[in-house]
Amino acid sequence: MAAITPKPARYGMAIDLDRCTGCGACMIACAAENNVPPARPEATPRTGITWMRVYQISNGAPFPDSRAAFVPILCQQCGKETPCAAVCPQEAVETDPATGIVDQMPQRCLGCRYCMAACPYHARYFNWWDPQWPAGMEKTLNPDVATRMRGVVEKCNFCHGRLHAARARAAAEGRRELHPGEYLPACVEACPAAAIVFGDLDDPASEVARLARDGQSFRILERLGTEPKIYYRTTRPWVRKAAAQPGPASAPGKEPVHA
Amino acid sequence: MPNADTQLMPRGVRRSTPRQFLLWILPWAALLAFGVYGAGLCLVKGLNQTHMDNRFAFGLWIFLDLTVIALGAGAFFTGFLLYILKKSELKAVINSAVVIGFICYSGAVAALLVDVGQPARFWFTFWHPNVHSMLTEVTFCISCYLTVLFIEYIPIVLKNRKLRQIPSFLVFEFELHKLMPVLAGVGTFLSFFHQGSLGGLYGVLRGRPFAFREGFAIWPSTFFLFILSAAAAGPAFILLTTWLVSKVSGKQLVRPEVLPMLGRISGVLLVPYILLKSIDTLVWIDSTSPARGFAAYQYYAWKPFGAWILFAEIVVFGLAPALILLRRRLRESPAWLLSAATLVCLGIALNRFVLTIQTLALPTLPFDPFMSYLPSWQETATFLAVVAYGVLLYSFSFRYLTLFPQEKDLSC
Amino acid sequence: MLSHIIFLGLFYTVLAVLSTTVALSLYRAGQDFRARRAEAICWHATFPDLPARDRLCRHEFTGEFSHRLCDKAFDCRECQQHAALVARRPPDAAPTPREADVFGLEFPLDRLYHRGHAWAHPEPDGTVTVGLDALGARLVAEPEAVVLPAIGSHIQTNGAAWHVNKRGAHVRILSPLDGQVVATGGPQDGWYLKVKPDGGRLDARHLLRGPEIRPWIAHEMERLQASLGPADQAPTMADGGVPVNDIAAAYPEADWDAVCAEIFLLP
Repeated sequence: MAAITPKPARYGMAIDLDRCTGCGACMIACAAENNVPPARPEATPRTGITWMRVYQISNGAPFPDSRAAFVPILCQQCGKETPCAAVCPQEAVETDPATGIVDQMPQRCLGCRYCMAACPYHARYFNWWDPQWPAGMEKTLNPDVATRMRGVVEKCNFCHGRLHAARARAAAEGRRELHPGEYLPACVEACPAAAIVFGDLDDPASEVARLARDGQSFRILERLGTEPKIYYRTTRPWVRKAAAQPGPASAPGKEPVHA
Repeated sequence: MPNADTQLMPRGVRRSTPRQFLLWILPWAALLAFGVYGAGLCLVKGLNQTHMDNRFAFGLWIFLDLTVIALGAGAFFTGFLLYILKKSELKAVINSAVVIGFICYSGAVAALLVDVGQPARFWFTFWHPNVHSMLTEVTFCISCYLTVLFIEYIPIVLKNRKLRQIPSFLVFEFELHKLMPVLAGVGTFLSFFHQGSLGGLYGVLRGRPFAFREGFAIWPSTFFLFILSAAAAGPAFILLTTWLVSKVSGKQLVRPEVLPMLGRISGVLLVPYILLKSIDTLVWIDSTSPARGFAAYQYYAWKPFGAWILFAEIVVFGLAPALILLRRRLRESPAWLLSAATLVCLGIALNRFVLTIQTLALPTLPFDPFMSYLPSWQETATFLAVVAYGVLLYSFSFRYLTLFPQEKDLSC
Repeated sequence: MLSHIIFLGLFYTVLAVLSTTVALSLYRAGQDFRARRAEAICWHATFPDLPARDRLCRHEFTGEFSHRLCDKAFDCRECQQHAALVARRPPDAAPTPREADVFGLEFPLDRLYHRGHAWAHPEPDGTVTVGLDALGARLVAEPEAVVLPAIGSHIQTNGAAWHVNKRGAHVRILSPLDGQVVATGGPQDGWYLKVKPDGGRLDARHLLRGPEIRPWIAHEMERLQASLGPADQAPTMADGGVPVNDIAAAYPEADWDAVCAEIFLLP
């Protein structure tokens, strides 16, 4: 059979901050899908691994005008001068040209953590402990995703395992192209508010491409010039101000609460 | 009274008795053992033994590695001045500088092996190098340079009183010494690049506007600033260590004009450094940082890192020692000379601290707070192990090798 | 790709330069041994480690220089300055001193003296007798051991001629000439070696003679007094008398290794 390469895609997301309720289902689904090890008792919010992490922001106003919103932050899959890929000394970070996904190779990672210093979105997480699952919990492991070892960095890869599974299914049916919705990361699937839309940003017919072009969409830290592929949407001006801010939000002492 | 120990010491110099030496060595050996235990915990149990975390991916170790490598730059710079520019007065301190350089670099490499999550994978960088990454450049250069320092250390060891009686050692040392300018040249080339790349590590971080700088071609300005500051700090550190060893051993080790000369070299290099750093800071405040959406004053709103840090780095620890070291009258006064040299070295440490720790403390995400970090005892212990290792290696080298060729002539 | 080549190219070049440097040094060291230059190299390599007071140029003794350190490791055969000075003042034209008694020590004037206190005397049969001068002999009188070279072995100028052990000090006596050992003697014979010089005759350009002896020995006596006394005392000079035959016995507290190192030029 002649090799027909599918058209390269550029997968991205549009996350509606007005729909996000902060329930955290995306975080749980992500951890379950990707075999993230359970946190040790000594772990803190700064040493735990959450490929997807929901932040809480507030408008800083006193009661009864105080309002909260939730911002899910995951790897932004930076498309230009990807900070982490540029700095990894072992080339353990690779951008897949067919999907635009920034892939992390934990088996090549030395654990130098330079990529973690480089990532402005703090989307990279280090295995400070040996991953361990309590007896019986190993039954919950997803057989399609490799676990990592201690001392290496890991991060969201848009559930790359699911992409491979979808491609395998399509190939079994004799197709090269994937139908929209056939490949969805776990967080997208799990969100009860359907706040996350996923798809090919380069496909003009896809919903995510339409939403990305929409005036309500913005990207976080856009001025750093890394071309992230996660678009955030909101109609609330204060949320936009708090999240689309190019730099640190406010003076010390007035910063929003961090989840 | 000659004994087996005195047979190993250089002739014509006095050293402490074996018992006195043992009393000196023991506490450092104990510190080394304690530090190795701390490091061992990190290796065995994992890096959770440190207080580093996902926001403070770099901590005490990286900050100290960068500082000791900058201070150890005295080895390459003295070698460059002596063997390439033929400033023969530096023969008085070159051996000591090489030993200190070797200690600094080997200690830093040892600390790095504990710092990475998978030390056994260190060779991956050599097998899959990312030639665009500053850290790859640092890895290659530092490995090569450590080799150069080792090769430069060998002749000093081979000239030990007992070892030199073996003719093949002495003849090999003689032939190697003829090629010392080659080694000095290679060492200078390598040091130029890795001191620079250590600065480049931070200058290229587009995601950290506090550290990010524009520059020349692929090299951000921090690349050049680090080279200059290391070249300025090297002689100052040699000055300090020579004085310290002289004090601890109670002997005059170099002729009186040597230390002020080192101070002058340091001062001369500080001037262009301060100038370029000031220009760089202004450019950063004015255009680089705002272009990325961060106004410079915002960084300094987070306590305790106020604008005083910038002032301290450039004026207190940069301009002030430069002015002192450039005046002959002040240079010749030990109090002024040593204070100025200390300020230079502290300034280098502050500069490395700002780029490592402050960079990571400052928030990048709009809804992030300021982070703080304090090292754990295991981290501190590991660093102290490196210090103890350095003191022990230097002590043995000082006792049995000729680190200061002028000592013999000054001791009668 | 190009950046890959440049980067790795530079790295491998550096490694190549380093390994070539080490390999070349090893190879040249091997060559030095084969060409029998090793002893001379050992001497030249360790000469700068001697204290400055041990390295004074012989022409300082005769007043031709106020202060000069030897930069040729006492091998005046190689020295342009020495050749120039000798040409200006040929040794034969110098007035011969009247006596050979220097500070109570006998220094026969028909002998040529090496800075390491060995003397060489050309014999009528073409050999050269080598012995230890009056000062050296008194320092290693009644030695614990004397290790002489084998008959037929070759000694080199500024290399080791023979070895003496005295009160814990292992002293090697510097050879004043290049040649082949034809006979060995000992302190009891008044000479230590009989040597057939290379090239048939003794090249004595680097050896001291005549008017140089007195100022040289004066300097040596000063150095000896300094090394015999406690380190912080100023050197004293006897104003008459003859040094005892066994100086070591007269100074039981002195570090004999340091004393011998000073006089016999052990670096």
